[in-house]
Amino acid sequence: MAELLAGLGTSHVPSIAAALDKGLRHTPEWAPFFDGYTPAQDWIAAKKPDIAVVIFNDHGNAFFLDRVPTLALGVAEEYHPIDEGWGPRPIPPFRGAADFAWHLADCMVEGHFDPLICRELDVDHGLQVPMELVFGRPAAWPVKVVPILINTIQYPVPTPQRMWELGKLLRKAIENWPTDEKIVVMGTGGLSHQLQGARAGFINPAADRAWIDEIGPAPDRWRDMALTDYVETFGSEGAELIMWLVMRGCMDARVKTLHSHYFAPASMTGAGMVLLENAVCSS
Amino acid sequence: MPTLLLIPGLVSDAFVWHGVTARIPAVVADVSTQATITAMAQDLLARHPGRLILAGHSMGGRVAMEMARLAPSRLAGMALLNTGMHPRREGEEAKRQEKIDLAHKSGMVALAESWLPGMMAAGRTPDPALMADLTAMVCRFTPDIHERQLRALLSRPDAALSMPGWTGPLLLLTGAQDVWSPVAQHQDIAALCPQARLEVIDAAGHFAPVEQPDRVGAVIATWSAEIAAQADRIPETPLFDRPRANAGYALNKMAMALSTPEGRAAFAADEDAYLSRFALTPDQRAAVKARDWEAMVRLGGNLFYILKISAVDPTPIRAIGAAQAGMTLDDFLTTRLGKVTNG
Repeated sequence: MAELLAGLGTSHVPSIAAALDKGLRHTPEWAPFFDGYTPAQDWIAAKKPDIAVVIFNDHGNAFFLDRVPTLALGVAEEYHPIDEGWGPRPIPPFRGAADFAWHLADCMVEGHFDPLICRELDVDHGLQVPMELVFGRPAAWPVKVVPILINTIQYPVPTPQRMWELGKLLRKAIENWPTDEKIVVMGTGGLSHQLQGARAGFINPAADRAWIDEIGPAPDRWRDMALTDYVETFGSEGAELIMWLVMRGCMDARVKTLHSHYFAPASMTGAGMVLLENAVCSS
Repeated sequence: MPTLLLIPGLVSDAFVWHGVTARIPAVVADVSTQATITAMAQDLLARHPGRLILAGHSMGGRVAMEMARLAPSRLAGMALLNTGMHPRREGEEAKRQEKIDLAHKSGMVALAESWLPGMMAAGRTPDPALMADLTAMVCRFTPDIHERQLRALLSRPDAALSMPGWTGPLLLLTGAQDVWSPVAQHQDIAALCPQARLEVIDAAGHFAPVEQPDRVGAVIATWSAEIAAQADRIPETPLFDRPRANAGYALNKMAMALSTPEGRAAFAADEDAYLSRFALTPDQRAAVKARDWEAMVRLGGNLFYILKISAVDPTPIRAIGAAQAGMTLDDFLTTRLGKVTNG
C-alpha cells in the first residue's frame, strides 16, 4: 500500500506568489515569511514524496458562479497554472497522478462523497502557492499532484466536520492504493483574513497561533466547531481553514508536529504552516 | 442574535405591534421626537446598537427604508407594512395641513374620529373595541407631535432611489382592503427588490397589524425567526449567500470575463461598451465606474471576482480593504493589520 508520508497545512495567499514573481523572496519584508518554510521544505525534499494531494478552493478562476461544485476532484494527466487576470505566471505545469486520482474517485463515491470529476482543469493560486512554498521554483515539479477542490466561497459551504470525514476517507484510499508511492497531503488556506465588508482587514493572530499549536496534538475543538464560528474567529475568508481538517482527518489521532511557522500579516492575511507526521510511522 | 425593532407609524405606539410582541421578543421604536424621516432613521440607528431586523408600519416603513439606505450592513432584514416608497404627491400637503389644523383646533379625539375610519378595511364595519383602542393610542400623542410627524412625511425622501440597493431579506405586507397604501404600492417596491416576499392580508386595511393581529403577528414572528436563524451572525461580514449571489451575478460575471486578455483589452479600451455587455443594475454600473469597492460588495460583488478589475486598473488589495472599512489606508494598516508578529 501507498505510504502517507506527512500532512502539511499551509496558507495559499496570492501575494506570496506575487512576491516570488517580483523577486522579493529575500527582501526584509518577505524573507522572515519564506525562511520559516525552509525546515519543512528540507524535510519533504529528503523524504522524496511521489504524490501531493492538495486540498484547496478555487477563487473564481477555474469555476465561475454558473456552476459551483461543492467538492471537485482532478483526474487529469496535467494541470496548467491559470491566468487569474494578471497574466500567465512563470511556473511549470503540474503533472497529475491520474491513476491514484481515479482510485480516489472510486473510493469517494463508494464512501458517499460524490465529487465533480475534472479531466481538464486549470489550477489557481490555491494550488500554485502551496506547491511553491513546499517545492520552490523547480524547472519541473518533483511530485505529481491530485487536486481536491472545496467550495468555500458561495454559501452553502460544507461543514468542518464533513472536511474531517473526507480526510478519513482519503486515508483509506491511500491505504488501499496498491503501490509503494509516498504521499504528502496538503490542506491549504487561511489563516485569519477577511476581504469583504466593513470588517475587511480583520486578522486574529492569537487564534492563528492557537490553531497552529493545536491542530496537531489537540484538533478536536477545531473539528467540532461550527462554520459560523470559523467565520467569526478567522474572518469570512479565513474560514477556508476548514480545508486543513481534510489533512488532519487523514492523519492518525496521535501525530508529531515536525515544523510550524507563523507570520502576520502577509498582505491582509495571517500566514503560516504546520508539518505533521504520524506518531508511529508505518515505514 | 439581531434585535427585532418595530417602528410604528403616525401617532402610533406599541399598541399597533401587540400581535407581534405577544409572540416574539421585540423592541418598539419611538419616532415621536424627530423632525425628518432621515433624523428618525439616524436616531434609531444610534439608539439601537447591533444587528437589527426592522418591521416598519406606514410612516415606520419609510423610516425603515431610510435606515436601509443609511446603514444596510446593520440590517439583517426588513419588513414593510402598509407603506409606500413614493415621495410627496401633488395635493398631499393641503390635505395633511387640514389634519394638522384639526388636531390643533379640536384636539386628538376629533383627529382620531376624522382620520381613523378611512384607515380601516374598506367595506367592513370597524370593530368598536378596536376603534376605542386606536383612539386611545392617538390620544397618547399631542397635536405638536402629530404636526412634526406629518411635516416629516411631507419632506420624506424618494425611497425608490435607494431601494434597489437593498438586497437583504424583504417582507412586504399590507391589507387587501388598504385604500391608503394599496397592494400596488407594495408591488412597486417588489419590482425593485426581486428577493421581496409579498403578503396580502384579507379583511384588513391600513391598520392591518391590529385589524388582524393574530395573522400579521404570526407572519412577522415566523419571518423574523427565519431571518434571525439565517442572518449574518457576524457584524459587517457579508457572507456570499443566495441573496448576495443572486444580486451580484451579473457584476461578478462582468469581472470574471476580465480573466481573459480579450476581456481586459475590451475593458481598458472602452469601459462603457464593455460594461454594457452585462446586465448590471445602474447602481452596480456606477459602483464599477467609480471603483467604489464598498458599493460593489454591498450590491452582491464578491472580492474574488471583482478583484479582477484591479488587474486592469491597479488598486492594491489593502486599499480595497481600507475602502470597505471606511478608513484611510494608513488607519487601516495601523488598526487592522498593524499587529505584526513575524517569525
